[in-house]
Amino acid sequence: MQGIILFAVLASTYLMLIAKRMPALIRSFRYQSFCLFLATLLIALSERQLDLYIISGLLFILKVLLIPQLLYRILRRTNTKEDLGLFINPQLSLLLALVFSYLSWIFAAHLVTPVKEIQISILAVTFFIILAGIFLMIFRMTALAQITGLLVMENGLFLLASAVSGGMPFFVEIAIFFDVFMSVLIMGFFVYKISKLFTHIDVNKLSRLRG
Amino acid sequence: MIDPLALFFLAVIFIVSLPSAIYSLGYLKNEYSSAKITLAWVLLVAFVLSMALVVSVSNVLVFLVFWEIMSLLSYFLVVFDTKHEKSIQAGMIYIVMTHIGTAFLIAAFLLMYKYAHSFDFLAIKSACLSMPAQTRNIVFLLLLVGFGTKAGIVPLHVWLPYAHPQAPSHISSIMSGVMIKTAIYGIIRFVIFILGAGSSWWGILIIILALISCLVGIIYALMERDIKKLLAYSSVENMGIILLGVGLALFFQSVNMPYLAVFSLIAGLYHLVNHAIFKGLLFLCAGSVYKASGTRDIEKLGGLIKQMPLTAGFFLFGAMAISGLPPLNGFVSEWLTLQAFFLGAFNTIGGVKLFLGICAGLLALTGGLAAACFVKAFGLTFLALPRSHYAKEAREVALSMKLGMFCLALLVLIFGLAAAIIMKLLARVAGAACGIDIGNMAFFLNNFTLSPQVGRGIYLSVPLLAIWLIVLGVLGFAIYKLFWKGKSVIYKTWDCGYYNMDSRNEYTATAFSKPFRIAFSFFLLPYRKTQKIRDSFYHVKSFAYETHTTLIFKKYIYDPAIALVLTTAKAMRRIQPGSIHLYLGYIFITLLLLIIFIHQF
Repeated sequence: MQGIILFAVLASTYLMLIAKRMPALIRSFRYQSFCLFLATLLIALSERQLDLYIISGLLFILKVLLIPQLLYRILRRTNTKEDLGLFINPQLSLLLALVFSYLSWIFAAHLVTPVKEIQISILAVTFFIILAGIFLMIFRMTALAQITGLLVMENGLFLLASAVSGGMPFFVEIAIFFDVFMSVLIMGFFVYKISKLFTHIDVNKLSRLRG
Repeated sequence: MIDPLALFFLAVIFIVSLPSAIYSLGYLKNEYSSAKITLAWVLLVAFVLSMALVVSVSNVLVFLVFWEIMSLLSYFLVVFDTKHEKSIQAGMIYIVMTHIGTAFLIAAFLLMYKYAHSFDFLAIKSACLSMPAQTRNIVFLLLLVGFGTKAGIVPLHVWLPYAHPQAPSHISSIMSGVMIKTAIYGIIRFVIFILGAGSSWWGILIIILALISCLVGIIYALMERDIKKLLAYSSVENMGIILLGVGLALFFQSVNMPYLAVFSLIAGLYHLVNHAIFKGLLFLCAGSVYKASGTRDIEKLGGLIKQMPLTAGFFLFGAMAISGLPPLNGFVSEWLTLQAFFLGAFNTIGGVKLFLGICAGLLALTGGLAAACFVKAFGLTFLALPRSHYAKEAREVALSMKLGMFCLALLVLIFGLAAAIIMKLLARVAGAACGIDIGNMAFFLNNFTLSPQVGRGIYLSVPLLAIWLIVLGVLGFAIYKLFWKGKSVIYKTWDCGYYNMDSRNEYTATAFSKPFRIAFSFFLLPYRKTQKIRDSFYHVKSFAYETHTTLIFKKYIYDPAIALVLTTAKAMRRIQPGSIHLYLGYIFITLLLLIIFIHQF
């Protein structure tokens, strides 16, 4: 079961990396978050802890329902093109994604000394998700893609925390959820402002702002 | 750490700061708004306190904190006159140079900490005994550059002639008189007291640098026509003389001659306190001239002795002291420094003997040039005819300013006449600083006579000398009165029998310094600019003639260095194109590199 969920997470991340348009990216993000929710729920069911139930519930509400909804809303409100603006085309992105997954596998294999397949793959997937988040932030032009990249990285960190230490302390987890939510709100507002001011949200064209 | 050395420096700080504070009462009035005067007072008090704390703490870290506070406060005082573009520029040069110095100090202190594992002075002192010789050399050089920047050793002196004149005059007097002395405190405390005597080249290096400072400082001072800049360059020279004493002490300590080490350090410390007093006095006088006339350009002054007799008198007093005329204090300390060189030359062998002899000669040359410089400063400012409306409209300054100058002038005389008593006190300071027992050393016969070479028959009694000068003077005057029957003729100033001389064809400061400009042309590299505007070939409408000297340290060291920094900065700027994606990429690449780096280890 764990393996299937991990595979689903991996697949949704790959979908994100080859997405060309914003709605596709957000949809894939939703899938990824949903997989994370399933994973957490699974652990909660097996460990029977109230904390984990609450966390998985919050995960579902925030990351599967609210945040993607919010992103869609920003997309509609800003009235810009749905194109992500790719620096690197999907084919090359896919190739790079393969390289990244291989690298994170090697890295994970180095970290886990008593070799356990499942732990290595969990770690490898989390590293890969984090790398994918950075990749999205760097090689996609629009500001919304940057927000999504950050959220993807956050998902990766969440998975990493659960994999390494069985989840962060309850209150920290809650606090992080709200931080993420707030940051999405604030960044959404910024994107809205940028689009109003410059009539686009292409970060690549903001280079004249340097000192 | 309150030991004799710290007490000595505290005394120096307060005997110069108090008269300057009194002086500032009158100086600041009518010059600035009342809010700014309050600010000036707050800064002044904080500045003096920070200096006092620099010399009295016993922990390297705290020392550094107060050192930095002192530097920053003095920076604010340098840029106090925000109206002038020049102040901002001077402040910039000052703050950059002082922080370069502090960087070297931090490096030295961290090296010391590595061995001592403590920031306490005494702990570091005991740890330094076990330090390898190579490290000691490096620490010494770092300390020398660090404190040398503050002390204004050539070629690190560039900030001094910009920053000191630009501050308000009472601050110039404290900065030049006291603040740069904290660097000497640093050298004595950290090199002589904590690091202890190392190889003999340490002392020799300091002596050579100090001699270069002496000569360069006084030659530039001779060329200068801004009276406060002239005094600032003269500070460079005097710091050189002080460092000669310190360097000699270090040298004698390393060749195991404790008596001479203590004696040289006494000479250095004596000159230190003397310089603090007379340079403070001269800066206050220069400030009075500036306040009364509105200009600091010697060429535009002249004839001020008629309007400002008291200021002129105080300036003359200071100028005589700084030129080393008996029986004032400058004479005593320069005599002691020269004696230290002679004693060293008598008691060593080989090349060192020659070296010390030559150094003594160069020091004497410095003294001569200093006298010429102050003849120029006094003669062209206070004598002759007024050369501009600035000088004509000058009036004598306020009472509090006169009082401030009077206190320092009195100290000049006291430190000259009471030389033996002061030397007794300084011997204890020097002994404590070198860690040498001075119980069986004698530097004087009684309370009036100095005797550095006991048994060789060389003595100096300043009060006796003063009495002789007075007696001879009175005698000469009496003879003149008795035998001169001619009638005295009152004629035009500096006319020399010419029939119609006015202020435009009188001697000027540039003209006075011309022989020196020619004699030292290999170093000063003077050049002329002439510009003629003609109506026709026969009629020249206007003719401009300028003469300048090249500031070789600026031209050949600092300008290339600054250009290098700027080009590097421009090259570095290319990695900042403004693209957020690229910046994210930098973070990503750094992360990857770090992962690889961890993988390697």
